[in-house]
Amino acid sequence: MFSVEVSSSVASVSVSSTSNRGHTPEEVADRCLEKIIQISDDAPPEIQQQARAYCDALRNVLVYYMKQAVVSDRTTLFNLLKTQGHNDLAELLRRL
Amino acid sequence: MAISQAMCTSFKKELMTATHNFTNSSGNTFNLALYTNSASLGAATAAYTSSNETSGTGYSAKGAALTNVTPTSSGTTGLTDFSDLTFSTVSITARGAMIFNESATGDPAVCVLDFGSDKSASSGDFTVQFPIANSSAAIIRIA
Repeated sequence: MFSVEVSSSVASVSVSSTSNRGHTPEEVADRCLEKIIQISDDAPPEIQQQARAYCDALRNVLVYYMKQAVVSDRTTLFNLLKTQGHNDLAELLRRL
Repeated sequence: MAISQAMCTSFKKELMTATHNFTNSSGNTFNLALYTNSASLGAATAAYTSSNETSGTGYSAKGAALTNVTPTSSGTTGLTDFSDLTFSTVSITARGAMIFNESATGDPAVCVLDFGSDKSASSGDFTVQFPIANSSAAIIRIA
């Protein structure tokens, strides 16, 4: 008699929510970093330190370019609203 | 009444009948539906139900479609993942979620997720963050 045992598991998720606003580039960057870099508690202290420094540098880059994307998207929306005749809304968006 | 995090028993059986295909783009569509703390969900849950599903501004029944990450393996573990899912501009409260196969007949359940406590968004974003996709943390693993 032969049998093969297989185990399956489901992991936990986390939830991030906001009130009266969306997520900021900083909050999104933190989520993004969790997907890119994992620092093991078992790693030597100097490696952990190096990894954290890299993480901080990467976070700054991510936040900068996310902010650029937000500004660029507002330009797209500004033009879209303007071409649809919503000049007041377009102006409000431009001033954000 | 409770939400117990579990991989649904029916899903384990359905893996052996090729009911589910997690391949990105060409695979099935998997949805994530949100539930209140009055829901009763767990390993015995076999399919999507609208009973005690979250309701509120910006949220529709059956939740939203997930973006599949094509299954892969790491060592002796097979795993699959989904991209984080954001319900934008919503006013809702949820205690847990169910992932189910929207493409398959009867909307069979995959797993039940317990958030640990009620989570709320008010005129804001409600984001479900999936863990990193590796052999020890991915959302769905078979070892």
